[in-house]
Amino acid sequence: MIAALGRAARVKTSNLMYGFGFFFEVLRETLHFFRRSQVGYKVLINQILFTGYEALAINAIMAVSIGAAINVIGSSLLPQFGQSQLMYTILIIVITRELGPLLTAFVITARSGTAIATELGTMVVNHEIEAYLAVGLKPISYLVVPRFIGVVVSMIVLTIYFNMFGLLGSFIVVQLVKPIPINEYLSNLLSILTVGDVLSGMAKALVFGIVVSVVATFQGFSVNRSSTEIPVAGIRAVGQSFILIIVADVLVTLMQYA
Amino acid sequence: MPDEIKSPVPAIELTGIRASSGTFEILSGVDVAFHEGRTSVVLGTAGSGKSTLIKTAAGLIVPDEGRVRFRGQDIFGFNRNEEIAFRAASGFVFQDAALWANTTILNNVFMPLRVHKPWMGPSEMAETARVLLSRLGYDEGMALRPADLSTGEQKLVSIARAIIHEPAVVFMDDPVSNLDEEAADRVYAIIDELRTQGRTLIIGANNSELAYRFADYLGVIKSGRIAIFGTYDQTVAGAEEALSASISRLRARGGRKSAAVGNETSQRSKP
Repeated sequence: MIAALGRAARVKTSNLMYGFGFFFEVLRETLHFFRRSQVGYKVLINQILFTGYEALAINAIMAVSIGAAINVIGSSLLPQFGQSQLMYTILIIVITRELGPLLTAFVITARSGTAIATELGTMVVNHEIEAYLAVGLKPISYLVVPRFIGVVVSMIVLTIYFNMFGLLGSFIVVQLVKPIPINEYLSNLLSILTVGDVLSGMAKALVFGIVVSVVATFQGFSVNRSSTEIPVAGIRAVGQSFILIIVADVLVTLMQYA
Repeated sequence: MPDEIKSPVPAIELTGIRASSGTFEILSGVDVAFHEGRTSVVLGTAGSGKSTLIKTAAGLIVPDEGRVRFRGQDIFGFNRNEEIAFRAASGFVFQDAALWANTTILNNVFMPLRVHKPWMGPSEMAETARVLLSRLGYDEGMALRPADLSTGEQKLVSIARAIIHEPAVVFMDDPVSNLDEEAADRVYAIIDELRTQGRTLIIGANNSELAYRFADYLGVIKSGRIAIFGTYDQTVAGAEEALSASISRLRARGGRKSAAVGNETSQRSKP
């Protein structure tokens, strides 16, 4: 029993160390990417198109809906406490600091995290990774780094996009309940929005982007030789990303408010 | 052991190789040297470990134990530049083609040129790829994806990808599997040309035809161990009768017209 526990702990520790090694190798290769990896640019562009551009619509719909929902709930609840003026503060804090990066990260995990893990897993099973090695392309430089950069850049841009549409959704509801000119709405928002709010959201977007891309690529490469391992890699990528995103969210929030 | 085997630094040398997949040992105690400018064929049945041997020799699989040397240098100790130089000097034909599914045939074939000869323009690369594929008898479109091709056509594309950058060492894992006779003949012609140019060919095969036609050195791998390795004549004459059906077939075919090793009349030049 104790021996089995010891073995399990040793395997877990070894996997964890391997994961950290993978992460630092990705960071190291990222520094060299723009200097030497012209052949990886196409992979990078494709990744940004898939993760960023193609997720714009779903992100916009979600942001508008969430912004509207926050406004509906706030405008019915806050007046009961005589705190209607807090509506803009709540909007800014909830959307830019919390839900913007968090929900965007969940969308990217569900779309791109699974896609990356299963695509890389399929490439492993079909010996395509070995073929890259054979022609002199390092899989981390050529396959992982463009996906890493693509997901991080897309995550940041999509978070900004989510924030804009979230606040727009709120404006649409305001127009239905108590119409005000857009100038007044925007000036109310901007008077409350601080640099800290924006930086907080961007910091989370950066961290979440790193988490999703590294976990997905790591899980993709963890596929060994069987096609049945591929969906498992996709599921693990989603599960681990969700957990790590929430943990990272708490840590970044604690750092901001501590 | 003949002088050729003891002579200069071999192109690729494996010593004390042990390789496993999980708890299953695939190679154990493998010591073998593949000589510069020569064609070495390793025969083995399915599951004997020949693909793992060829991939380990090419540095695509890291063994659990042992060393692989390229011209005397440990390939797993290469820095980035040395590794790139090794890859520029080598090509690999995969048993199952292993083409990149998400890109076109043209991109598959000229990728080694983009990596190792970036000074060539895209049109020159594309033309080189077209000429080579045409010589191999591939006459489908360049914009197709690998999934659009038959397995035989995929194999031809894989061979083109392995040799387009004119490597000095070519690893081939069952290069004529999945090919019809005509296509196999074209591949034989390419292999013959590579031999004539003095390139080092390291071939894993499960049929005796490749060995009969091209082997300067011939070995047999059985249950993950090199059972015998030597010049073609030594191996064919010296192998135990029960070792391999392929050896028995080669023995039955008798001597070859062009003995490979030691045949100084063959016009070879080293690349």
